[in-house]
Amino acid sequence: MMGDEASKGRRALDGVRIIDLTWLQVGPQATRLLATFGAQVIRVEWRERKAIDFIRYVPPFAPDHATADGGRSQGVTRGHGIRGSYNRAGYFNNTNPGKYGITLNLNHPKGRELLRRLVRDANAICENFSPGQMDKWGLGYDELRKINPRIIYMQTTGMGKAGVYEDYVSYGPTAQAFSGLTFLSGLPQPRPPAGWGYSYLDHSPGYFGAIMLMAAIRRQRIDGTGCYIDMSQCETGFMLSGTSIVEHQITGKPTARYGNRMPFLDWSPHGAYRCIGSDNWIALSIQSDEQWRALTAEMGSPDWAVDDRFASAASRKQHEDELDAKITAFTIGCERYDLMNRLQARGIPAGVVQKAPDRFDLDPQLKARGYYVDLPHSEIGTWPIEGFPAKLSRSPADVGGPTGRAAPKLGEDNEFVFEKILGLSAGEMAALSDEGVI
Amino acid sequence: MNTDGNLGNSLAGLTIVEIGDQLGDYAAMLLAGLGAEVIKLEPRDGSASRRIGPFASTAPDPEQSIFFWRYNLNKKSVVLDVDDQDARPVLAALAARADIVLLVGEFETVARRLPLWRELAEKNPRLIVCTITPFGLDGPHRALKATDLVQMALGGIMAVCGYDPGKDGEYDTPPIAPAMWHSYHLGGEYAAVAMMAAINFRELSGEGQFIDVSVHEAVNTCTEVAIPTYIYSGVVVKRQTARHAAPNITHMRLSKSADGVFMLASLSPFERELRALAQLADQVGIAHVLGTEEFVQLEKDDHVAAAIYRNDLLEQVVESLPADELFKRAQAHGLAWSPIRRPEENLDDPHFAARQSFATIDHPELGRDLRYPGTVASDGHAPHFSYTRRAPRIGEHTDEVLSRLRVPTKT
Repeated sequence: MMGDEASKGRRALDGVRIIDLTWLQVGPQATRLLATFGAQVIRVEWRERKAIDFIRYVPPFAPDHATADGGRSQGVTRGHGIRGSYNRAGYFNNTNPGKYGITLNLNHPKGRELLRRLVRDANAICENFSPGQMDKWGLGYDELRKINPRIIYMQTTGMGKAGVYEDYVSYGPTAQAFSGLTFLSGLPQPRPPAGWGYSYLDHSPGYFGAIMLMAAIRRQRIDGTGCYIDMSQCETGFMLSGTSIVEHQITGKPTARYGNRMPFLDWSPHGAYRCIGSDNWIALSIQSDEQWRALTAEMGSPDWAVDDRFASAASRKQHEDELDAKITAFTIGCERYDLMNRLQARGIPAGVVQKAPDRFDLDPQLKARGYYVDLPHSEIGTWPIEGFPAKLSRSPADVGGPTGRAAPKLGEDNEFVFEKILGLSAGEMAALSDEGVI
Repeated sequence: MNTDGNLGNSLAGLTIVEIGDQLGDYAAMLLAGLGAEVIKLEPRDGSASRRIGPFASTAPDPEQSIFFWRYNLNKKSVVLDVDDQDARPVLAALAARADIVLLVGEFETVARRLPLWRELAEKNPRLIVCTITPFGLDGPHRALKATDLVQMALGGIMAVCGYDPGKDGEYDTPPIAPAMWHSYHLGGEYAAVAMMAAINFRELSGEGQFIDVSVHEAVNTCTEVAIPTYIYSGVVVKRQTARHAAPNITHMRLSKSADGVFMLASLSPFERELRALAQLADQVGIAHVLGTEEFVQLEKDDHVAAAIYRNDLLEQVVESLPADELFKRAQAHGLAWSPIRRPEENLDDPHFAARQSFATIDHPELGRDLRYPGTVASDGHAPHFSYTRRAPRIGEHTDEVLSRLRVPTKT
């Protein structure tokens, strides 16, 4: 353990303890946010392949030469993971900063007993196992509330546990496809959907999880009420596509895709346009005739721009394919950031389609706001971690949380948790370790 | 005490005053769904988000915006020109009683309004003032112009969403911003997280504070492996059709079912999933060599050919059944395959009916109910979020709220 919890000033969730049985992505996102605001989040894993968070096996890996006293400063290359170590995965490091890590065998009765002891004094327990796993262990909400009636129990599944699909398996992409989010993304039919280039529904439910946990924690602090939260990734997807669901009830028409265009406002042109270089694009969003005139001025007032077809927003929308071709003929000769700056100077919403290097190496706004946070990891050293997107004046977000670290090594905090929190002696711990419990 | 601990009323007693545009509607609605009272201050002709379609009427009408309806459930509307000197007494009275003030919009607008709220917050030190702006209140890009599309571009989501490149590795289609205002969703969710943190902090300390949410940063948090892959290995992930952006182009996962619906179907490299595929193929009567010596040999001799064989078989299975049947059968074998549904198809799904995922909201002016996505979680019996009232009409609650404040006003 690196940080001293008392030394960092006051945090919104001081004194809150979360037992974190989550893994993969959707669960750990929620507990990450609680650690960011000061909760003591104790991640539970076990030293068997199936009980170790799969994300620990997922690339990118820190370069093979990265050490505890170095990190990114030692240079970046493709790492391979190192046999025998579960602590070198970069995405895991980014997803789990600020958390404590312990190993605890829940398939062992003594492991489950230790978990119950942890739950006794905890504010919340979070899990995203396949539906029913916790009940099989006798660790479901109904059992745990007998030990701690104030406990907040949050489980996250693709479909949601209550209902007729209670034992269905699902991952982020499954929930996205089922909920309608995948359908909504992409060029109009008959093109297939483009969907999402990642598991969006492993992230938004994490934010919702943090919102609900913090509402529940506040109430628990006030009146001691406990809470069972059965979160559904699909329902989160509905929340994020609500306008189309309501519109359909009024028009009766099936929802359609519309690419990067804007069918809900008189905005045109509206899309991504090619610039100089390989796969370089700029997004333009023209909201008014005034902005249209500013754009045509920047293009050098070409003759075609005063054509009747492009005179009004309504007319531009009718001729959007031709319009896009004309705009592209202009942008394709432009350097993307230079064009963005020129258009922004004229008051036009324009933005480069930024790729990871653009966002990490170039974006002056993210730099100025201190978005990326360097945090040390006990095996691979100091690496930049994605930050929290808001500044709070009195209880600032701190992705390093109470540990002041990036993600924990597997079982890194066994001593702290079992000795300091549960009060086990060194001898007891050694015996439990020999028995395959911790 | 409610033993199930339903959260639908957990923020009862908290008052949120919302001022601004579409960047804030959703954030305030999320907390309204947990029981907070949200008072939206609007200009006489309605807030900007009332101009966003689609509209229930044939022509745009600020009272008929489905966008506005969707993101303003449970709220109250008060007509007040917040930039007018005459509004000061009302704003002061609101600041004295409110728990949170949400100031939302373009940088110039929010920056212009903020000093007044700094002043008012000195008189009510418990007040939380949360701003949501496209890029945050400081930094060189704070005043850039943005729309949802531009935020999705600069924030990095577009670059990882879209279609496969051609065989030469070059893209002939643009990056795609997934539709439905996700930069506002992300900004709104994070604003709600930050406001809940501030509310919790106030329970401990008695102190309010200022929160500065940047939509740009909110979008940036949500691209999964894109940034870590670059930070740790210097590699830039490539966007690809309906699957994860990755350093390499992976195998296509979309195929069409017998009834012409795109299915998201793939196999993880687990023996269990291969057995499940074999069983599904047996059920629909497709001959195959999975599980035989022949296939084991093929895997040894030519790993790529074996993968192609598996995926061809998967496609044949998908083509043989209608989407919903395929979904259920795959699930029975533990395969997380899914039809690519339109959002509205879930309105009639029995699972979500059982969970009451959609809130039925009365629209007296339409003479009908509409069903809105109304929760992300259940307490085992009922939804944790509680939405019961349609979005307000412009100024619908002006008298109610102002009379409660007992401030003489010309409004």
